[in-house]
Amino acid sequence: MVDCYLGVDIGSVSTNLVLIDNGCHLIEKIYLRTQGNPVKAVIEGFASLVESVSKEGITIKGVGTTGSGRYLSSVLLGADVIKNEITAHAVAAAHLYPDVKTIIEIGGQDSKIIMLRNGIVNDFAMNTVCAAGTGSFLDQQASRLNINIQDFGERAALSKQAVRIAGRCGVFAESDMIHKQQMGYPMEDIIMGLCEALVRNYLNNVGKGKKIEGPVVFQGGVAANAGLRRAFEKVLGMPIKVPQHYDVMGAIGAGILAMEKIQRSRINTQFRGGTFILEGDFKTSSHECQGCPNICEVVCIKRDREVLAYWGDRCKKWESSLNEKTSIGLQVV
Amino acid sequence: MRVGIPRGLFYHYYYPLWKTFFQDLGAEVVTSASTNRRTVERGIESAVDEACFPIKVYYGHVRELCHQELDYIFIPRLVSVEPKSYICPKFMGLPDMIKSGLHELPAVIDITVDVSKTDRLLKRDIIRVGKIFTNNKNHIKQAYQHGQYELHKCRELCQGDYNISEAIRLWEGEQLDMPPNYDLNIGVLGHGYALYDHTISMNLIDRLRKMGCRVHVVETLDREAIEQKAAEIPKRVFWTLGRKNVGSALYMEERKEIDGIIYLACFGCGPDSMIGEVIECKLKAKPFMMITIDEHTGEAGMVTRLEAFCDMLRRRKAVSDEGYISAHG
Repeated sequence: MVDCYLGVDIGSVSTNLVLIDNGCHLIEKIYLRTQGNPVKAVIEGFASLVESVSKEGITIKGVGTTGSGRYLSSVLLGADVIKNEITAHAVAAAHLYPDVKTIIEIGGQDSKIIMLRNGIVNDFAMNTVCAAGTGSFLDQQASRLNINIQDFGERAALSKQAVRIAGRCGVFAESDMIHKQQMGYPMEDIIMGLCEALVRNYLNNVGKGKKIEGPVVFQGGVAANAGLRRAFEKVLGMPIKVPQHYDVMGAIGAGILAMEKIQRSRINTQFRGGTFILEGDFKTSSHECQGCPNICEVVCIKRDREVLAYWGDRCKKWESSLNEKTSIGLQVV
Repeated sequence: MRVGIPRGLFYHYYYPLWKTFFQDLGAEVVTSASTNRRTVERGIESAVDEACFPIKVYYGHVRELCHQELDYIFIPRLVSVEPKSYICPKFMGLPDMIKSGLHELPAVIDITVDVSKTDRLLKRDIIRVGKIFTNNKNHIKQAYQHGQYELHKCRELCQGDYNISEAIRLWEGEQLDMPPNYDLNIGVLGHGYALYDHTISMNLIDRLRKMGCRVHVVETLDREAIEQKAAEIPKRVFWTLGRKNVGSALYMEERKEIDGIIYLACFGCGPDSMIGEVIECKLKAKPFMMITIDEHTGEAGMVTRLEAFCDMLRRRKAVSDEGYISAHG
């Protein structure tokens, strides 16, 4: 039996699960599209994870969740650590590259820059209200151009001369692209132009005023895009490191955090076990609480008939109506 | 007579004054409920699209009051509340914006507050408004003085780490509990009518408190010290709230106990787009984070940023206390 730790990162676009061993080595990873249904994604991801390691025989000693769906997944799985994405990404990158100074992370809905000094987060920034230049926008453009998102980066890499595209706003970028396409510029050059525009926008908006020092690590789903990697290297004038498992770094970080917590405090995991996750029927529902004029949208998560969690209520009337044991998994660590 | 006061914008700064004034003149004061989803929905429906989120929400508050059989609704026209400084231009046109955007309004009491050069006009306007209720000028003046006294009393309550909105609740006789335990000190800046409204700010301040932070706001700081720091900027900031925010940020940077500073900006706010940048450029020694809010209700983005910010501050602290860090989180 191998002891291992489960790290889960539920983002807007993808749901990632990883198993790591005591030495933080990756045993198995699953990368799925969330497709608007995080509950289903977690359960499916967990099922295929269990299946792929069934021969080796593993025990899950701890669970860490991150990503915007971290509270939801912690209810389904029983998490020991619930951590924000920034810390999780930083922990994973610093483990792999102890001397890393800057992390560029671009995900589905947000992009971040994280500055580390001696392995700890010293400063960070995230995109503000605009999601231009993140994975969703690239996804949308790829489908508009009828290109598979997996091939987007390769097509960009074929470009010899990138065209200039406005990167400030997704809407302007799109109309610029359409204009250039109608003028007859080659597709490759337009795509590469878009990559460069996104990098410019990222550095001006997210990396604004921050000194980017190497080594620089580029991770998150968008790091798969060779065009963006090339554009970053060109603009920053330094090599960019892309980790082997760039797409699941958040999940790896969550796994490492869970491991550290379990090993440090010598407690047993909150992990609910395979039977609980795979054999239950999980349902989420929401209703408007009419208790006061706030009219909160209360979300309820049920397994068969048993209510696992409530949230969304400002006064915590619903959340605290469950007994201590079930609500403990919701505590922010 | 029933006078309605919408619970938005400068309500959060001046309500005790307004309420006392109208009550002393014999009116019954009615307010709208604290901002909730319905307020927001109604506001967005009727407001001009260029306005910032707090203004849109204000429309919602006015609409709620429209159904309450009022004789008057109080919508002040705030131009300037101190010499040589101004409130955002949208406030100057607020009564007109509301009147043109909403119909079936009760009669509007609109008073022009402009003391940028002299307070003579304001005094005259107070009498004009007071005459709606009584012809006794002395009575009107006394009501106003009493209002100012109550406002002052309310502001004093901010010393115990309460922001002005909470001070107003205390002033109204409510009991508030402050979480006693904290290990971080965070300065939180922004326009009070956004920051202190639970719905608009997505409960930013209480969220931080629950994460173990003691929250410092403009009103809990020393006024004189803020002004002194604000004067260090090469060009004087002529927006009242903006200047206070810049001064507070610079003052907080010098205070050893403050671990980090957060600025809550509204997406459509002109002054914020300037002031936020100025603060970001000037702050060199302390971690600073700007959070921009608008109509979106997705809280995940904000929660992530706040958690990450607190995490970062704690780990930086651990490093500077011990000289090294052993474990993550």
